[in-house]
Amino acid sequence: MPQSGTGLPPMRTTLEYPYTRTTGPVMGGFLTGVRDGLLLGGRIGERVLCPPLEYDPDTGMPADLDPVEVGPGGAVSSWTWVREPTEAHPFQHPFAFALVVPDGATSGFLHAVDAGSPERMSTGMRVTARFREQRSGTVTDFWFVPEEDGVRPAPPVEGGDPVTLTELPISLTYVEPYHPHRVRFLNGLLEGVITGQRSPVTGKVHVPGRGYDHLERTLMTEEHDVAVADRGTVSSFTEITPVRYHGQKETEPYIRASILLDGSDSPITGVDIRTIPLSEFRVGLRLQAVWKPAAERDIGAFDNRSTGGWEGVIERWEPTGEPDADTRALEEHAF
Amino acid sequence: MSPNFRPVAVVATSLTPVHESFEGPEAALVMTCVNELLETTGLRREEIGFTIAGSCDYLGGTPFSFVMNLEGVGAWPPVYESHLEMDGAWALFEAWLRLQCGDVDTALVVGSGRASAGRTREVFALQTDPYTMAPLGADPVSLAGLQARALLDSGKATEADFAASAARALPGTSAAALLKADYWCDPLRAHDIAAPGDGAAALILVAGDRVRELPGTPVWITGMDHRIESHHLGLRDLTASPSTELAAKGAGAHDGPIDVAELMVVHSPEETILRAALGLDETTSVNPSGGPLAGNPVMATGLARVVEVARRIAAGEARRGLAHASSGPCLQQNLVAVLEGDR
Amino acid sequence: MARPCAVVGIGQTDYRRRLEVSLEGLVRWAALEALSDAGLTFADIDAIVIGKAPDLLEGVMMPELSLADALGAVGKPIHRVHTAGSVGAATAISGVTMVESGRYDRVLVVCYEKQSEGNATWALSGGKSGGQGAGGTFAPWIRSYIRRSGAPEHIGWQVAVKDRKNALRNPHAHLRIPDISVEKVKQSPMLWEPLHFLESCPSSDGAAAVVLASEDLARKGPAEPAWVIAHAKRSEYASFPGRDPVRPRAGVECAEALYRRAGVTDPLRQIDCAELYVPFSWYEPMWLEGHLLAAPGEGWKLTDSGATELGGSFPVNPSGGVLSSNPIGASGLVRCLEAARQVRGTAGEHQVEGAKVALGHAYGGAAQYFAMWLVSSELQPGFG
Repeated sequence: MPQSGTGLPPMRTTLEYPYTRTTGPVMGGFLTGVRDGLLLGGRIGERVLCPPLEYDPDTGMPADLDPVEVGPGGAVSSWTWVREPTEAHPFQHPFAFALVVPDGATSGFLHAVDAGSPERMSTGMRVTARFREQRSGTVTDFWFVPEEDGVRPAPPVEGGDPVTLTELPISLTYVEPYHPHRVRFLNGLLEGVITGQRSPVTGKVHVPGRGYDHLERTLMTEEHDVAVADRGTVSSFTEITPVRYHGQKETEPYIRASILLDGSDSPITGVDIRTIPLSEFRVGLRLQAVWKPAAERDIGAFDNRSTGGWEGVIERWEPTGEPDADTRALEEHAF
Repeated sequence: MSPNFRPVAVVATSLTPVHESFEGPEAALVMTCVNELLETTGLRREEIGFTIAGSCDYLGGTPFSFVMNLEGVGAWPPVYESHLEMDGAWALFEAWLRLQCGDVDTALVVGSGRASAGRTREVFALQTDPYTMAPLGADPVSLAGLQARALLDSGKATEADFAASAARALPGTSAAALLKADYWCDPLRAHDIAAPGDGAAALILVAGDRVRELPGTPVWITGMDHRIESHHLGLRDLTASPSTELAAKGAGAHDGPIDVAELMVVHSPEETILRAALGLDETTSVNPSGGPLAGNPVMATGLARVVEVARRIAAGEARRGLAHASSGPCLQQNLVAVLEGDR
Repeated sequence: MARPCAVVGIGQTDYRRRLEVSLEGLVRWAALEALSDAGLTFADIDAIVIGKAPDLLEGVMMPELSLADALGAVGKPIHRVHTAGSVGAATAISGVTMVESGRYDRVLVVCYEKQSEGNATWALSGGKSGGQGAGGTFAPWIRSYIRRSGAPEHIGWQVAVKDRKNALRNPHAHLRIPDISVEKVKQSPMLWEPLHFLESCPSSDGAAAVVLASEDLARKGPAEPAWVIAHAKRSEYASFPGRDPVRPRAGVECAEALYRRAGVTDPLRQIDCAELYVPFSWYEPMWLEGHLLAAPGEGWKLTDSGATELGGSFPVNPSGGVLSSNPIGASGLVRCLEAARQVRGTAGEHQVEGAKVALGHAYGGAAQYFAMWLVSSELQPGFG
């Protein structure tokens, strides 16, 4: 596992989304069969493929579903015993993945065999499909078991419309240490200091540092860290009207601003502004950070890449009352 | 293939160490490689005519991860550049074709990845058929287990062959000792499976007269090809690799003896299949670097094979060599490059 | 040396939400139509190139693997390009390189996106809340353009109306708004100041395909070829002190390289029409300037004059453009193939009369990736 020896726990990200797949008629026909408790193959020439394909796999030319009922019994043509299942596997106890050639089909189908122990698995063994009681028309509505465990008809389900949609929820968790320059930057924020990096070649200060100066192709380390001011000038902004999507928590419009901090050459971006009305917000406006009390600062929204997350450490940005900065000079910082 | 191919040479190579977990950004890995190449060749970044990289968003769980990587690749002043969501070996293929067109003489090729952040078995399951396989979490290790079983059942290999392949990659062990280990994904044992790591590989390709103007020993890429097979495992003979055979033929692998071969053996049984498909015998030194079982910088692993072969030829250890890269479950897609020493 | 390459077959789906097809069905629709247009089958294809935006959009990683059979690729080379929004055009160029290299005679290029499987804003924000969307990135630069050029505010509305009117002539277009008007655009909700809802692109499903061929084979084909007389790509960093994101240097240099390669010296006059990647209305004048079709500050005047309308002196996006259909990963290829349709004279109701040379263009990332091609009805059009 990744380790962070610098005082910050590793960063965790979960990519989670319920994808909805439209099936088209051929895969839809197969999944409708599964929902109804039977295995359908598709005849293409001399072959019967299960699952069926909407094309001839040799030529790519179209093939309509010529459905043939196959199974529920079949023979294992190859298998492996999965001792440590992943969270995405159909079982959380050891099981076999196998190529099963359903009776009446001419080729194997990858699926899980719940056999209890590897000693019960062998190439050529007979297996039979086991259907769940509740089925929605996905490939996980059934699995295989050794035939000696008994052939059971699929529990009946309420018939319904043909399946045209199948869901694939995915959930992937990523754990990684914060990059070293990021650790220093984040530890600085916890202490109320904004840290950038000064390029040893150009002298320009990048905030936050990236661990390198990409313009000069130079790696940068701790010795290049510099503290910059917590006050600066709005170099760019957008008013965001949140669109709805999975995981979106925002509902009301708000401002996302870029601020060129005094003493730096690249603006910080993705700064949430919620206390200054849009009508008063403008490029050139001078702002001062108002930090959250040290005990309330939270860097959890910062990852290794994005620059958003400032609202976890800074309560709000207040206009300083100084005259606006020259907007033309800010043109090159419109990020 | 046209017989009048423009000679193209690898003139410089770079590999980062393979990190179990690299703490810095992927762009820093890439920058390290690119800077080394520029230093070795004396080329300035803006002298490179074409740049192409291979990497993968899902590996680190970030969409557009290649946009961050561009900061390591180098893109100011603006560059003529492209990106494949594939191992860097395929980027090399496109670069090699691009140099054939005649108007560009130099190319920078990069492959990079940080696999340590994600659980690669779960991540790579998303490569499989989205209707019938991905919902089962069909992961590459389990599928390699099916392939290994098919190989055993066919009599083409034994578990001792798998162990021998792994033992060559793991100094200080013996096949006999490895065979005593428990199964992990039967018939695979943990040592049969390359551990995913973080790293980058890069090289500079040059065509035409420019080759002679640069320092170092050029290693010519005399042929390259790649092919794919059916995604449906039931429609394949898992004990053979016809796509590797076709790619080897297309790359002209059989036009001469092969002194050294670096094969992308991510699961040890694949070595048996690849040796047969490539027609390699004991006269070829296979995976002298240890191969991916000794270091698997995902998305750079294939390009690293090319680098390993080029280095051995440049060092005079071999005259002619073959590099192989693979993608997809059970060796679905395979690439072959043939490299030769200076004429 | 590079040998000539032509577009000999074109296929595309409709770009509405495609709930009746699988992913395979979607890409095959476009591929089979392109093959049929070229009088070919999969058996005649030497290599396949696919392109799309991030895999997170559909949750299918490295889709060249699961789509190999469906695209007739078994036993052949297939590779996958990903260069953000420019990917459609970058994929086309990757295919052209294969033919120009002398190695492949016929290459099938397929790009797609099936946004209805997932959610683009979710995917583009890496699964996090508070994603600002592409519009949030581009809006400040658009405001900057307006400030610099002194363009009046109606220019954006006018582009939005023009492209949606053009879309009514294109049966493939996703958005069809028969009563589109400047008033309607102005009244639509403000998403990212100054961009209204109707100045933004939709979320579309769709696939597009072209068959590319060598000169010999192109001349034998049943249909008129569109010759790819030049192509160019340029990339630059997303952000750094001193970058001009309004008129990115990579975009300027990409256009310069393209015109130089083709021998074009006066692009506005020598090119007959363009399909530019305009996902937000203001990008029409911005790219007219950013790609040297108009001098700095003059692009909006071209738009304002009506020159970019169908029937104008330099029609831009006669197909309705990205503003009317945005199957993200395919959008760049749609621009390229629509340019090819124009010079083949097969653009139907949105045909630009007499078009001989057309520009197809795409950009991506933080306006940092550019890919373009020029197609012509003649192999050597000779610009006088």
